[in-house]
Amino acid sequence: MPSYKFNYFDLRGKGETCRLCFIAAGVPFEDHRIDRAAWPGEYKAETPFGQLPYLEIDGKKFAQSGAIASYISREYGLYGTSSLEALSIDGVVGLAADYFTNWAKSYFEADASKKTELQSKLKNTDLPSFLANLEKILTANGSGYFVGNQLTLADLSVYDVLENSYRDHPSVYKSYPNVLENRKAIAALPRIAEYLSKRKATEI
Amino acid sequence: MPTYRLHYFDARGRGEVARLMFNAAGQKFDDVRYTKDTWPDFKPKTPFGQLPVLEVDGKLFGQSGAIFNYLARELGFYGNGNLEALQVDVVIGLVNDLIPLMLKVFFQEQDETKKKELLEKLLTEDAKKFFNYFEKVLKENGSSGYFVGKGLTMADIVVYDIVDTLITNKATIVDPFPVLKANRQKVESNPGIAAYLKSRK
Repeated sequence: MPSYKFNYFDLRGKGETCRLCFIAAGVPFEDHRIDRAAWPGEYKAETPFGQLPYLEIDGKKFAQSGAIASYISREYGLYGTSSLEALSIDGVVGLAADYFTNWAKSYFEADASKKTELQSKLKNTDLPSFLANLEKILTANGSGYFVGNQLTLADLSVYDVLENSYRDHPSVYKSYPNVLENRKAIAALPRIAEYLSKRKATEI
Repeated sequence: MPTYRLHYFDARGRGEVARLMFNAAGQKFDDVRYTKDTWPDFKPKTPFGQLPVLEVDGKLFGQSGAIFNYLARELGFYGNGNLEALQVDVVIGLVNDLIPLMLKVFFQEQDETKKKELLEKLLTEDAKKFFNYFEKVLKENGSSGYFVGKGLTMADIVVYDIVDTLITNKATIVDPFPVLKANRQKVESNPGIAAYLKSRK
């Protein structure tokens, strides 16, 4: 097995899905966390494109959180059992990425009144639309997982991207029972449960 | 081979990369294009109320990224092995970081002054930053002239398509980047793509 070193800030952000992939697959990796206050410092020049995260595979550096998560998932059995399953998985991952974009806009908006507007849009439109699509997929698939009969990158991506909104707007989830069931099931998987029990809470 | 139908608007947008891959591979597909009149009837039939949708033997799949990855796998544009696939995905990720900057300028910003400012920044600072990244990847891949490995992959096609839009706004934008320019010529040298580009309006 190659040696893996994952470099990201000490928060969830764009890195947590990658960490969850390693953990779910039981693959050892160095979880190198960089203090936000120390960035950029000497760290930025070490990155392939001036950003975090990046993964070192036997010392060779690869950037882009989506690319990294897909690589680990392909390598360690989190990408389903066929090309069509992978297509469905990527569909869910794409929906999660679209929701993340909406969340990020609402979180990082500098103008106070625009921010209030975006936060309201997130809670009342973006989140319910996303959850409705997820509920539809889970209902149609029937196994409790998004694709096939086992854990895939789809379940991990959704679990991670909903972390903030589940904390901030739990009432919205009541109309989406399959999404809640899936979330509980993923959190209860042994390796993930162990990680979550020790994970320190971060704002994002 | 399954029967493929690509459903998208009559535009390049988020569908063109699929069309380019089909043509590059010489793979037959139905190029279904919706207008603002025909779209409302199809919308409720789509997986997520959006386009593009790829129909594979009658089954519908949404999300452009998912569709592109699937076609890259099926048509041989994902490199060889998982590490090359990772390299392809890195390039796709870089382009996905550039796209929101373009969406902001072309679709989202309503204030005319701010829009002009952002367009100027896109065509100078932002383009330079990303073109430098693209050239870095091309150079680190060695002398093949492609982004990954020794042949055409989805990485070349995705970059080709996004840079097309920037060239439309500033014809000389790639000129200071000879390595990227040479890569564009590699893409255009694929016979399927060459024929398609000639016929494309």
